[in-house]
Amino acid sequence: MFNRTQHFAGVSVLSAIVVLAVASAAFGQSGSTKDRWLHVRVINSDNKGETVRVNIPLELAENVLPTINKNHLHNGKVTIDQAHMNDVDVRALINAIRTAKDGEYVTVQGTDQDVRVAKEGGRLLVRVKDNKSSKSNRSEVDIKIPMHVIDALFSAGKDELDVVAGLHALASLGDTELVSVKSDDSTVRVWMDSKNSSD
Amino acid sequence: MLLAKIALGLASTVAFAAIYTFREGVIRVDVDEYRSGGSHVHLWVPAAVVPVAVRFAPKDHLQTAAENIKPWIPTIRQLAKELEKYPEANLVEVVNGTDHVQIRTHAGKLQIDVREPGQSVHVAVPISTLEDISVQLTENIPGA
Repeated sequence: MFNRTQHFAGVSVLSAIVVLAVASAAFGQSGSTKDRWLHVRVINSDNKGETVRVNIPLELAENVLPTINKNHLHNGKVTIDQAHMNDVDVRALINAIRTAKDGEYVTVQGTDQDVRVAKEGGRLLVRVKDNKSSKSNRSEVDIKIPMHVIDALFSAGKDELDVVAGLHALASLGDTELVSVKSDDSTVRVWMDSKNSSD
Repeated sequence: MLLAKIALGLASTVAFAAIYTFREGVIRVDVDEYRSGGSHVHLWVPAAVVPVAVRFAPKDHLQTAAENIKPWIPTIRQLAKELEKYPEANLVEVVNGTDHVQIRTHAGKLQIDVREPGQSVHVAVPISTLEDISVQLTENIPGA
């Protein structure tokens, strides 16, 4: 009898520990997706050394953007001016990329620039490398956008970009670098993590 | 005995007023021009006073202010509400040579610091005051 009681108590304590561990893990995960920060850092290495650092909580941006109604921005959506799209059906293009398999879509190796557009691991990758002979003009641009963020961006009506939906989709990601531009006189970095400062 | 009671009453009123004022925070504006004859403005206003002052401000002035700021009131309101969740955050920082602009939240205040050769401007407003003012301005929009 004593042994059965002891066994029951042991199992109960073990179950309680497992339940608490699972609950705390779940709580920890929901907390980490909530506290996401979007960072932008621009460093100019000219003689003035201009530096711009922007750190915005994604949740703040998600909740404040829909209140701004100015120019092309309304209710968290940006209206795309078709006149600037050069007759390219971006939605059809995105749809084609979404349904296509991973791989390299565009590879251009030119004397001035190397361009690579690819889809890898659910991300759209764009890389532009400047090969100009003048050292001061050399630059490398890397853009890595998760496909589900692109889907969210284009989830609004025709001729609209749903920025808030895009931010919401971004919030579900872990720490990730989105844009990186490196040239001899400046570096630009856009990334996301859970820190409230960029350094 | 009566004097002691009056003194106690006054002291406790002052103490409660001081506690309330400090709880609500202080709006701080510092403007310094570092040149001969340059102006130096240092303003410390208890944030608790601002909603009261707005209530007593001339109605037509408030309505004009509310009309001008009307499109941005929902944004200010939402921003204040959101910023309260981030009491310590460096939001924007721009350094260009000797010029420096910083927008951050610190100790529950929204701080805007601008420094450039010859002048500096520092503004610190409790985030809760921003929300209070936006609510009062909303009430003053004609037809709202």
